[in-house]
Amino acid sequence: MHFEPSPGDVAFRADVREFIRQHLPPDMARRSYICSQPPDIGDFRRWQRILHDRGWGAPHWPVEYGGTGWTAMQRHIFMEEIFRADAIDYGWQGTHMIGPVLIAFGTEEQRRRFLPPMLRGEEIWCQGFSEPNAGSDLASLRTRAELAGDEWVIHGQKIWTSDAAEADWGFFLVRTDPHAKPQRGISMLLVPMNAPGVRVRPIEALNGGRDLNEVFLDGVRVPRGNLVGEAGQGWTCAKYLLEKERTASAYLYRNRRELEKAREIARAETVEGVRLIDTPEFARRIARVEADLLALEWSVLRILAGEKNLHDADAVVSALKIRGAEMQQRVAALQLDALGPRALRVFAQGDRSAEVIEGTSLWPAYVPGRLGQFLYARAATLYGGTREIQKNIIARRAFGLGSG
Amino acid sequence: MDFDLTEEQQMLRDGARRFFREHYRFEDRRALLASEAGFSRDHWAKYAELGWLALGQPEETGGWPGSFVETAILMEEFGRALALEPYVSTVVLCAHVLGRCAAARAAREVLQALAAGDARLALAHHEPGGRYDAERLNVVATRRGDAFQLRGCKSCVPDAPAANRLIVSARLEGEEDIVLLLVDAGVPGLRMNAYSLVDGTRAADLVFDGVRVPASSVLARGAAAGDILQAALDRATLARVAMALGAMETVLQMTAEYAKTRVQFGQAIGRFQALQHRLAEMFVEVQETRSILCCGLAHVEAAGAERSAMISAAKVVAANAARIVGEQAVQLHGSIAMTTEYAAGHYYEHLLAFERIYGDVDWHLDRFARRAVT
Repeated sequence: MHFEPSPGDVAFRADVREFIRQHLPPDMARRSYICSQPPDIGDFRRWQRILHDRGWGAPHWPVEYGGTGWTAMQRHIFMEEIFRADAIDYGWQGTHMIGPVLIAFGTEEQRRRFLPPMLRGEEIWCQGFSEPNAGSDLASLRTRAELAGDEWVIHGQKIWTSDAAEADWGFFLVRTDPHAKPQRGISMLLVPMNAPGVRVRPIEALNGGRDLNEVFLDGVRVPRGNLVGEAGQGWTCAKYLLEKERTASAYLYRNRRELEKAREIARAETVEGVRLIDTPEFARRIARVEADLLALEWSVLRILAGEKNLHDADAVVSALKIRGAEMQQRVAALQLDALGPRALRVFAQGDRSAEVIEGTSLWPAYVPGRLGQFLYARAATLYGGTREIQKNIIARRAFGLGSG
Repeated sequence: MDFDLTEEQQMLRDGARRFFREHYRFEDRRALLASEAGFSRDHWAKYAELGWLALGQPEETGGWPGSFVETAILMEEFGRALALEPYVSTVVLCAHVLGRCAAARAAREVLQALAAGDARLALAHHEPGGRYDAERLNVVATRRGDAFQLRGCKSCVPDAPAANRLIVSARLEGEEDIVLLLVDAGVPGLRMNAYSLVDGTRAADLVFDGVRVPASSVLARGAAAGDILQAALDRATLARVAMALGAMETVLQMTAEYAKTRVQFGQAIGRFQALQHRLAEMFVEVQETRSILCCGLAHVEAAGAERSAMISAAKVVAANAARIVGEQAVQLHGSIAMTTEYAAGHYYEHLLAFERIYGDVDWHLDRFARRAVT
């Protein structure tokens, strides 16, 4: 057991930092500072292209498909630097979800067709899993697909589909065998979002964002070759993509950056002439969150370093998800509390006007975006398996209790 | 970074686990709790034989040099067994002070005796009214020729009743400087009022009424003494975090097993989702405690302020977890956890003591905040 970082990692961090400093457009960093979640699609496309040109479009992929061959620790350092600089997070549905699934389960033809434009940021992906009556109980999904000649014909409805309006492609879980056990009858299909019969209705979110959608699939036809893996393998593919990046659920890098923003606010805001950060009450609150964030960070490091002595790995990953999601909410709450009453003002997306009165900035740059990000963070304990589902998983995997 | 144990570390852990399994059965431990000393001198001799008392000490005084990771591994096993011997006081706290003062001949002699199992020590530092801070000491050392005279009172000194030597912090009369003195526990003029703490370990109030200490007993003074004291207390804090982790893991497992076998309403209570989720929450706390222990271990040799801050963070996370895990272990067991005839309550009491020894959550949170918020 030892905890020293390798000298190579120190040099690697310097390289990454320098690259980001040189290539991250300041306007993009500014937008990301205000609202990093979800990133602006246009910014995402541009940044993905920049990373791809450097060979960093999907560091976690196998080298033959465009990956970097970095160690887990290097990928960790890379993500730290991305968030530290307010650069853009990877598009999750693309390089992090469907990409690895195609590499593991797809045909060579599918890989050749879909991976390069994904790396270049030219094709945006969305994930069609949840349905109005299939949320936590995903296996009860009802969208169905039947083979008609050489085509799958899809009927049904998806909901909470992020980025569906901008996406070029979607990967959808559909029921292809109504007679099989619920999980065995599910398959994964790749659907072009401009196909006839696909209709997208944006859903306005609490924070005013419009990235969530309903997707209606009404007799949508896709070629037989758009099936990922085999028929009935959809559940396996879905589980694989959710488990692939085991430490991502800690949201470590985002949490660290957002806590830094909370500090920035607390340094600037004053209570009766005293900086908020110098009041014992707020200093303690920040320290409390920081201590838990350190624990979360070391939980991630344990997994990245491949600790063998881990308790059941699934249970550990669920623990990370619970803590990481709650941390997003706690940090966002710190930011709002630090802002005081001005936290309540709604800023439309894209509206970041700072009104300057008598030379004093009344609405400093750290205000817009915080309310929206706070509201967005309510979903952190919902998406990717609710907190309650994670607890079911822990009870089953760590203690052999329950069925969840 | 590598979080896996080396072969030697595994042997240390397995050896400790085996020893405690054989010698620390529940009834054996209860007998020790009821005994006058509150711990086993035979076990102490065995620890010397196993080399545990020499762990982390300089080789030239009979030590077994190793990193603090080995100490933490051993402490985790102590925690699983709720071992009662005054290991942290003697080996983690006082031996560290002595090791840093090895220029003093007295220190070298005691270290040798300690490794051989012939010395047990306690650190007499905290004073009544001082809570966890002891910056303005009321115990005063007055120079009398080539000796010092000690006056004042120390309170709630862990493991003092078991100790035959004490390391006493005092303020030099007429100066701000503090001084660390090695004092024989049987010295004339020292009164000891011993009592039990909630976890069954023993502590004492010490009254120094003109105790004469030769000048050769001075271990350190001034800023150096403060630094050494701080480093030793930080290490003791982290050792107790490791111990608490072992205790938490054990009582969590015990609670899960109980939930599987305890039948109410015609089924094992572990089938109720409310209880499953409670166990899951305890699991998360234990995981985070192991992680923050690693963070503490990574910083235990860091420069003073950084080390202290990170170990405070470790204590904050671990003590919070200890409260949740301890209280829920009692709640999920139900009434059976309210009796000393069943182990769960003993773990709860150990964790309760852990929360407050060497600084409670508020104290450590403030110390960490001073570093975190700048």
